[in-house]
Amino acid sequence: MTKKRFNPIKDKSSEIIEFLMSSPDIPDDEVLQFKLRLSIEEAVENVVRYAYDGGIGWLEAGTSLDEDSLVLTIELRDAGIPFNPLEKEDPDVTLSVGERKIGGLGIFLCKKMMDSIEYRYEDGNNVLTMTKKVQG
Amino acid sequence: MDIKITQQENKTIVVLNGRIDTSNADQFQQDMTPLMEGENPDIEIDCTDMSYTSSQGLRIFLMLQKSVMARGGKMVMRNMNPQVKEVFDITGFSNIITIL
Repeated sequence: MTKKRFNPIKDKSSEIIEFLMSSPDIPDDEVLQFKLRLSIEEAVENVVRYAYDGGIGWLEAGTSLDEDSLVLTIELRDAGIPFNPLEKEDPDVTLSVGERKIGGLGIFLCKKMMDSIEYRYEDGNNVLTMTKKVQG
Repeated sequence: MDIKITQQENKTIVVLNGRIDTSNADQFQQDMTPLMEGENPDIEIDCTDMSYTSSQGLRIFLMLQKSVMARGGKMVMRNMNPQVKEVFDITGFSNIITIL
């Protein structure tokens, strides 16, 4: 388990993303790393931008790898405004250019890139857990 | 992230190199803003060396496409790597932007 608490998180997105991507739990596989980086960036940005008024607050970011099942887990925890990003409706990806709205794709991409994504509110914290099988 | 913009006849050529992510999306948007105005709307984006884009980049590509279309122009993106192409496919951007 690799874990670190960032406080405050304003303008720290890149630092948090690079911390997670440099974890020894992240597989040495370019295609998987692309999907993981994308999911991590979107999920971290979601917290940094929206969890706290003005970005003043903490985010705990961690990874763990189950050696038997080879399932990688990425967990983000914050004490910001209670918010379940998974309740947001998926964007309609069949709309024309004129109808497409700018934005709203972040969490949708996480859902598509990861095997599972779960949200819970626990002890006053938002907890987002994403998993991906990394081999086999 | 490296951006090279050149004018070729009536078309603007944009060559992207590296990752478009949260660390440089604001700069990328600033660099693309002049391309959203003017009389020669046609844009060709060379993606050969664009290794990654998050939703931050997608947002700007959609803004470009909207502005190009509003001025009766054409935007094409060339030579995306398979991972970047997958992001465009999943989000339906492959249907609204010409990818060659």
